[in-house]
This record gives sequence, C-alpha cells and structure tokens, in this order.
Amino acid sequence: MTTNSADTIAMGLRRHFNYEERVALLFIAPVMAVLGLVAVFPIVNSFYLSFFRIKLTRPNRTPFVWFDNYIELFSDQLFWTAVLRTVSFTLMSVTAITVVALLVALLLNQDFRGRRIVSTVLLIPWAIPYVADALMWKWIYDSGYGALNGLLYQLDFIDKYMIWLGDQDKTLPLIANAFVWKEIPLATILLLVSLKSIPQDLYQAARVDGAPLMQRFFHVTLPSMRGGFMLVIIYETMIAIRHFDLFFILTEGGPGTASHVLSWEIYVETFRNLSFGSGAAMSYLLALVTFALAFFIIRTLGRRL
Amino acid sequence: METAQQISSYKPASGTINYKRRSMMFRWIQRGVILLGSLAVLLVVLMPVAWLVSSSLQTEAEIVSVPPHWIPEEPTLRNFKAIFSAGSEEPITYETRSTQDTSSGNYIPSTARNLLPAMWNSFVVAVLVVILNLIVGIPAAYAMAKIRFRGRNGSVYFILTTRVIPDIALVVPFFLVIKNLGLLDNIASLVITYLAITVPFTVFILIQYFEGLPDELDKAARVDGCSRFQTLTKVFVPLSLPSLVAVILFAFLTSWNEFLLALMFTQTAQSQTLPIVLASFTSDFTISFSFINAAGLLAIVPPVIVAIIFERYIVSGLTAGAVKG
Repeated sequence: MTTNSADTIAMGLRRHFNYEERVALLFIAPVMAVLGLVAVFPIVNSFYLSFFRIKLTRPNRTPFVWFDNYIELFSDQLFWTAVLRTVSFTLMSVTAITVVALLVALLLNQDFRGRRIVSTVLLIPWAIPYVADALMWKWIYDSGYGALNGLLYQLDFIDKYMIWLGDQDKTLPLIANAFVWKEIPLATILLLVSLKSIPQDLYQAARVDGAPLMQRFFHVTLPSMRGGFMLVIIYETMIAIRHFDLFFILTEGGPGTASHVLSWEIYVETFRNLSFGSGAAMSYLLALVTFALAFFIIRTLGRRL
Repeated sequence: METAQQISSYKPASGTINYKRRSMMFRWIQRGVILLGSLAVLLVVLMPVAWLVSSSLQTEAEIVSVPPHWIPEEPTLRNFKAIFSAGSEEPITYETRSTQDTSSGNYIPSTARNLLPAMWNSFVVAVLVVILNLIVGIPAAYAMAKIRFRGRNGSVYFILTTRVIPDIALVVPFFLVIKNLGLLDNIASLVITYLAITVPFTVFILIQYFEGLPDELDKAARVDGCSRFQTLTKVFVPLSLPSLVAVILFAFLTSWNEFLLALMFTQTAQSQTLPIVLASFTSDFTISFSFINAAGLLAIVPPVIVAIIFERYIVSGLTAGAVKG
C-alpha cells in the first residue's frame, strides 16, 4: 500500500518536473519540511487556537468563541499599555542603535593604527548571551551595591543612591540601554559593509564639484547606505519588538506596568495565567503587526529584500 | 573622508585659501576625532565587562562594600571553585550554608550543581544545530542559487518570511507540538526549534555567496561529469569556507544564547541549558552577586573566544550576505 502510493508520487513528480527540477526539489525538501513543521504549522495553529477559550486550569472545557479573545484584548487596558511600551521601547532602541552604529561604522571605515583592536573588542557584546547581558546590567543597576550608583556618587552626580529599576520613568530607557549595548556590534558590521561598498568615484565626482565634507556626507554617503540602513532598521525592529529576555530578568514587567511589553504580556497570559487561547490571539496579532511593519519598512526604503 | 594627498593634489581656480595649512589642520582634527572615538568605543564596551570580571573575583564581603571596590583588594577564585565543586558537595542547606561565608551567610544556590551539566547541554545542542544547519542549508542554498526551477523565488521568499514572525508568537503552538511529540524536557525539542530559527539565515547568507560564484564553475564541473551533488561538495563547499564559518558561528551563538524556548521546554537539569540555570539564580533572593557574576563570566567566555578567533571571517562572511541586501 505504502510502496504503491510512493511509486505514484514518484511517477507524478517525473511527469511534471524535469531532472534538474527534481534535483532542486530534493535539495530544498529538508528545509521546507523543517520550516513547515516548526514555522508554518505553529502560526496556522496559533490562528486556530485564538478562536478557542483554552485554559489549562480547565482542560476539559475548550469552547469555540469566535473573535471573543480578540475583542476582549481590545478592551483590555493592560494590552494597550503593553502595546504602548513595546512601541516606545522599539523606537528608543532602534534609533539609538542606528545612530551609534553609524558613528562607529564611520570610525572603523577610517584607516588608523589600532583599528583591529577596536573592531575586535567591539565584537564582545555580540557574543554575550542575552541572559548574561541581563545579569551584568542588573548588577550594574543594583540599588545597593551597583556600579552605576557607585560611579555617579563618586563623581558627585548624585547625592544619594538611586533605585534605578524601581523608577517608572527610568526603567524602559535603562532596559533599552542594555539592549542597545548588545546590539551595536552587529548593526555596526552591517553598516560598515554598506559603507565599504560605496563606489569611490562618487566621492571623486562630488569633490570635483567642490562639495565640502558635510555635503558629501549628506548627499553621497547617507543615500548610498540606504540598503544597509534598511537591513539594520528591519532587523533591529524585529528583534526589539519580540525581545523578552531582558524584561524577564531585569524587571519582570515592573515596576507597576512600566516595562510591560507585549512579549512579557504574552508570556504572563500563556504560562502564568495558563490562558492559551487569548495568549494565541495576542501572539497572532503581534506576528501580523511585525510582518506588516517589515513590509512597510521594505517599501519605504525602496529595496527588495 | 580623504587623505591629505588627495586634498593637496586638488587645486581650484581661485588661490585665496592656504590649502596646505588647511589640510594640516584637517589631519590633526581627523586624528583627534579618531582617537577620541576609539577610546569611547573601548570604554563603553569594556567597562561593563571589566566590572563583571572584577566583581566575580571579589568575596561576598567585598562585593557589598560601599563605595564599590573597582579593583578587588583581595582577589579570590572561590566563586569559580564553588561552581566547579558544586556537583560533588553535599546539598547546601540552611544550616550548612551559613558556615560557607561568614559575612553574609549565603553562598552557593541550590541550583549551582546544575551549572556545568547545563553548559554541556548548551554545547551539545549548539553543535547539533550547527551540523544540521549545514546538512539542510547548503543543498537548499545551492539549489536556490544555481538551479532554475519553478517556484524558486517563491521558496526564497517563504524562507525569509518565516523569520519575520516573532518567536514569542510561536511559543504557544511550539509548546503544544513539543508536548504532543512527547519531547518536553528533552534537548531534542531545542535542537528542532533552534534549527528552524537559524536555518533561514543560513540559507540567506549562502544563497548570496553561491550567487556570487561564477556560473562557469558550475558548468565546467558538470561537463567533467560531476553530478549536481558532486559539484556542490567538490567545488562549491570548499570555495565558500568563509561564509560557512559565518554560518557556523551564527548558528552556534544563537543556540548558545537562546532563552525563551528553553525556558518553555525544559524543566529539569536533564535538559536545561546554560541561560536557564543562570536566570534561575536571579530569582533566588539569598544568593550572592559575586557568585552570579562568576557564573555569568563562565557563560561569556566560550562565545567571546570563538568570536574573537573568527573575527575576520565574521566580517567577510557577513559581507557576502549583506552587500546585495
């Protein structure tokens, strides 16, 4: 029975595809299988789940509730807080990453003695696991014995020790700082690559036209780096929107709702409240928004991915 | 930016400005900016890490001193010793704990014994993910770069799209799949999901690289009687070593660092990875920060060494993948 159906499939393949195409299909089959199982299936499944009220606390009652999960989300104050926090965290981080990475890339694009040392050291944050990054900053921000308090106090910038992560207004920027520190290396490499691929004759032409340094920078360098900026902004936006580790270790969403981002809210809803249905609804919205955003950025910066 | 020679070789019609003097000044300013910039980068990158190293070498008593000791006055390795001997020692109880460190009475957390096994788990998962990435990714990238077949563009876009979806959005269904497969608390669950996370990037980098290699290579090998598979293994793989190194590094670092999925799928020391055990320390309120810092330092050392050794390959490998992006 099985051999028969396998034969039928093989014959069908032979009829519809030539030899080259069959080789190609064989070569890409494993990737497609893996991604189908672990990427496509989950996202379809998450859409399906989002129509049910699934609470693991009541495993035998999982009614189909249509769009109730979504409707409840939209009227949930905490959900909108989480959306707002996610947006501001992402804007803050991506702006900082892009600007700093551009400056560092411009620096590393120069020929100077010791450049190798700088670029090698720069790689260190990239290699550090996010959890280790989080632990390190948690210790630096520590209200009793942390380095930030110690340093600022010794330099006379503050007159008493601050509870950094306990301050509603400072939490998000402080987490963003730990995030940016870790993301700078990769963003710098991507921008450096695009900086190096600018044709030199563009500069020569600009120089012959008598354009001063700043004008050459704004009219030649920046426009030519469009592709690099797109790559960095898309990649870092995706990473920032979905980021979870730092929130988990540094603040657990607190104080209050100050660092309550979407990924944290999904985690709490799903694995603490054990409410899989509404967790799935939220996940699905986040996936849709991320996807739309990537599409929008690609269209705006006008390049094919 | 230009060098001094380029400026001085350029002579405009009007000669009212002293170009030689101006270019000298420009060079000095440029040097100053580069020096300050380099120092700033080194300081910002190294200071937090240096503080981590310094505090991992301090005793519990020293680490809670105010103001902080930037350089340990009595450097000690006992935090590291505690980690490496945690597996063999008696379980730390409330009674025995207070004898370990006279200053605070808290020293080794109960989960410390899981740290080395977790490091091993992380390593095994990362190596398996790297190997599977190469096995699955290389042929796929080659087919997409060099073979014309229907649905080629579609499959490239499909692969990229899967990375746009955030992991956190996949966690619920992932969890149910893994649960149904009976793979909860098994490192196989991590290998499978990390493979799905890393393989799109692998294929993306390799496609760009293979496309850059001339088609004539492909044709010549085929004329000489190589099959598609032989062309791939004997011609393309050896030529693409730099981008393969980038791929290996990326897959390794991603697996070594991943936290969220490991948090969901692993429950005991049998499958827990390094980030999970590290994170578990912070929820333990009795634990000392000098110990956490030592453990954090251990987690950092392998990936940093790897990254520094392969520094030149990282840049060239990413170049191959990113220029056309």
